[in-house]
Amino acid sequence: MPPVTWYLYVSAALFCIGLFGMMTRRNAIALLMSIELMLNAANINLVAFSGYLTEHTLVGQVFALFVITIAAAEAAVGLAIVINVYRTVQHINADEINIMKW
Amino acid sequence: MRIPVDPSDWLILIPEFILLGTAIAILMIDAFAKAASDRSSPWISLAGTAGAIVAAVFLWGNPLSGFGGMIVNDDFGVLVSTAILTGTALAVLISVDYVRREELPAGEYYALILLSTIGMLLMVSSANLIMIFLSLEVLSIALYVLTGFARMRPRSQEAGMKYFLLGSFSAAILVYGVALIYGATGTVDLQSIADELISPGVLGNPVLLAGAGLVLVGLGFKVAAVPFQMWTPDVYEGAPSTVAAFMSIGSKAAAFAALVRVLIFAMGGLRPEWLAAVWVIAALTMTVGNLVAIAQDNIKRMLAYSSIAHAGYILVAVAAANRLGLQSIPFYLIAYAFMNLGAWAVVTAVTRKGEEAVGLSDYSGLFWSHPVLAGSMGLFMFALAGIPPTAGFTAKIYVFMAAVAADMIGLLIIAIVTTIISAYFYLRVTVIMFMERPAEPPVVTVPTPLAVAIAVAAAGTIWLFLFPGVTQSFTDTVARLL
Amino acid sequence: MTLHQIAFAAVAAVTLISAVFVVILPNILRAALFLVFTFLGVAGLYVLLNAEFLAAMQVLIYIGAITVLIMFGIVLTQQLMGARIRQATQVRMVVIALPVVLIAFAGLAKTFIRPFASAGEHVAAAPAPVDAGTLHQLARMLLQPYVLPFELASLILLAALVGAIVIAKEEKD
Repeated sequence: MPPVTWYLYVSAALFCIGLFGMMTRRNAIALLMSIELMLNAANINLVAFSGYLTEHTLVGQVFALFVITIAAAEAAVGLAIVINVYRTVQHINADEINIMKW
Repeated sequence: MRIPVDPSDWLILIPEFILLGTAIAILMIDAFAKAASDRSSPWISLAGTAGAIVAAVFLWGNPLSGFGGMIVNDDFGVLVSTAILTGTALAVLISVDYVRREELPAGEYYALILLSTIGMLLMVSSANLIMIFLSLEVLSIALYVLTGFARMRPRSQEAGMKYFLLGSFSAAILVYGVALIYGATGTVDLQSIADELISPGVLGNPVLLAGAGLVLVGLGFKVAAVPFQMWTPDVYEGAPSTVAAFMSIGSKAAAFAALVRVLIFAMGGLRPEWLAAVWVIAALTMTVGNLVAIAQDNIKRMLAYSSIAHAGYILVAVAAANRLGLQSIPFYLIAYAFMNLGAWAVVTAVTRKGEEAVGLSDYSGLFWSHPVLAGSMGLFMFALAGIPPTAGFTAKIYVFMAAVAADMIGLLIIAIVTTIISAYFYLRVTVIMFMERPAEPPVVTVPTPLAVAIAVAAAGTIWLFLFPGVTQSFTDTVARLL
Repeated sequence: MTLHQIAFAAVAAVTLISAVFVVILPNILRAALFLVFTFLGVAGLYVLLNAEFLAAMQVLIYIGAITVLIMFGIVLTQQLMGARIRQATQVRMVVIALPVVLIAFAGLAKTFIRPFASAGEHVAAAPAPVDAGTLHQLARMLLQPYVLPFELASLILLAALVGAIVIAKEEKD
């Protein structure tokens, strides 16, 4: 069995890839995909800790289930907003939505 | 079979259930009697909010916690909830004519306001990281939609999209931080985390520190602290004024309550580690918020930067993390609910259909056509600047005293200097309203519900200055718990 | 390397390589396809962690619902043949983002080395043995100690439902 650290490295890498996407993408849907990557990274951590913690309680798995639910709700609302933006202004390039912008 | 959740635990949630019932009733009326709903929704929401306030006060501290420590009902929570519910009630009042004027779908508007309020109330009383995250999502998802609610106005749409993307981004950072805290301490219960921090192996764990840092970033987005504030001006400018008013108090109060619970109640033992970070964020927030506000010509953007700056002062109290600090946070939030909602109510009155007339020049000579309205705006500006005789003055004094008690002289000096700087742009609004006398002073109509909201906000702003002890005596109990 | 470790390496590689494609591909429809592989990889990690129920949920919700939703979003907002589907990356931002992200990763990785290298505080060297009653246990947790968050999740879905409909419905004039 690999030690828990291996999972943590994968999760950290996935989180940072998502962060990279958040900083470089312009399209709102591409940004949403980057956010999903970051949420998945958090979930890997939760499930890994849930398996490896000495007091084995499954709390991490329960939490991960909630995160998946939230991700679905966020995607639904987010895409509704994005589609409506597209209908009003005919593009969804989030030039001003750059997280580096003050 | 063991029943871990006592049926009486649900009693603790009566305020939330009242709001939920109201929201569902509004949606049902809207579905089956559209015309009736447009007229009745605001009043039903107001009744529900009032019911929730009564229930929250009635349930004060009894029972103290529920669902196996999942939520607590302490004095701190009840006072912050009062600030939130006050904000909701005033926001509903200023929405009555606004929603009609902007032709927004009334039923969904008020239902989402109430759903968001439920999330805020639950976030305030959450004593578990899972609950904090889920209630944060309830309030945020409703607010993303409300921000983009003006479907025909591109600015509102873009603000909604920006708020959604940055909000979900901050939520993702928050969850990642929570996952690390869970790994380091083996629990997501705030009380158990506090108990774990006694062990030196946990205390020095860098994973715990990384987790706490990421949670601080995630909540920093929600309270609009610098450098996580970049969404605030655009969202406040683009969102319907009433929604901006609602979220400027509600989501800030809820996020601050969560920040206090995580940083002080659960991780008080780590204060030497997080103090530097909170110190820097507070100093930056006060400085940037107030300095950039000076350059604003749009009243909504100015109030957005003002809201950033006020988050900085509350962060000073968080950094102090002492008895006075804990007392001053609920007081500051309640005072801020009155003075900030009052200012937004006046903005709502002056703006015209389609969010026109939001420049500072639109206030030029307002006093000569509407002396009472301009006088109220002057009062709210004095309050936001922290000038007596207003609640804003008292709130700032409490925060300064907390900083002195915690020996944070450097932060205190920054707070005082930025307060003096802030007087410039708040008083500039007053000067524009009173001193300038254009040939045609602006003519605005103030509908009755809006006038009531402004009167209540003005009364609250002065009342809290005259009788600050009202909340003081209650908060004493919180402090004793520490 | 044991078989388990080889499986881990393969699944992790699929996850991370497709994730990189998700954030760098100029064509966002292709990026969304790679998102499916990332989600599948994460589901594989859950299986390796003995969390089969979560793996199933990951496939059902992430791949079955969220990716499909995202595809719909892309198709509805882009002219498939047009130029707009490209230019999804800001090249000048890459220069800033790359060092930031590498520092963030180095920071996180450094954090993990000491406390979990061997059996650390609260963390065991190997996962708890597989328990046949995991699903049963999970259900009990959701409906007993975590019943309040469970109900709260339904509130989130209600808010999302109302919100998505009110935002996206066509104006009837």
